[in-house]
Amino acid sequence: MEKRKSLIKIKPKKYGVGEVVKVNFMVMHPMDTGMRKDKKTGKLIPAHYINEVKFLFNDKPITTMTTWESLSTNPVFTINFKVPGEGELKVIFKDNQGEVNEKSIKIKPKG
Amino acid sequence: MQRRSFLRGLGLVAAASAVVTPSIVMAAEAPKGQNAMSIDAAVAAITGGKSVVVSPKVHLKAPEIAENGAVVPVTVEVDSPMTDDDYIKAIHIFATKNSNVRCADVMLTPANGAAMFASRVKLGTSQDVMALVETSKGEFLSASQNVKVTIGGCG
Repeated sequence: MEKRKSLIKIKPKKYGVGEVVKVNFMVMHPMDTGMRKDKKTGKLIPAHYINEVKFLFNDKPITTMTTWESLSTNPVFTINFKVPGEGELKVIFKDNQGEVNEKSIKIKPKG
Repeated sequence: MQRRSFLRGLGLVAAASAVVTPSIVMAAEAPKGQNAMSIDAAVAAITGGKSVVVSPKVHLKAPEIAENGAVVPVTVEVDSPMTDDDYIKAIHIFATKNSNVRCADVMLTPANGAAMFASRVKLGTSQDVMALVETSKGEFLSASQNVKVTIGGCG
């Protein structure tokens, strides 16, 4: 299983319980459409794209996405999230070639 | 006489290859059809034949002119209280002229607090970007915006 570089950012950095924050999830992924040719060999690059992204808070699903190859290379997903308290925000993402990766961040509201 | 028939044969071969080549190219590009879907079919698959209303509640933000079609930021915001009985169930983003029009289907829950989704899409040519929103009451709202692409992002 190949580890994908990914990053979760919460905006703003300081937030309280009940506040709506922006969750910014970035991942390094080629997102090949299967229509592009390799410039060196002239062969088609097989489709390779993220097809499922799940946002979980304490293992409870918040947002589930089905995505397709029309998203850009190294895609960014931004959603809103109402902070219910302390916990762990986890993002699980899968691609069409069967890779499954996950990334998590601790949610620590202040005040 | 032999020369003539030889040339004729040569011509036939050339013609045959000219006819065959495009079909080979098409076959090589077959993965294109793997997920290809027209906008009407994609919308119908989601709505199940229900009517879609163009609504001012759906705010779709995308650049009017995108210099690079490979990275076009798209933001969809929907006015909604996001309470347990009245919330936005799903946001779908379509690029109406891409080979596969579907970009992302986002299923939201009241835990989101506000209905918003932002991402970056690839656009092959100048086209409309469309957002289709499903509410918890079963209504379908939409918004679309034309994006002019200077350099295509697919291929």
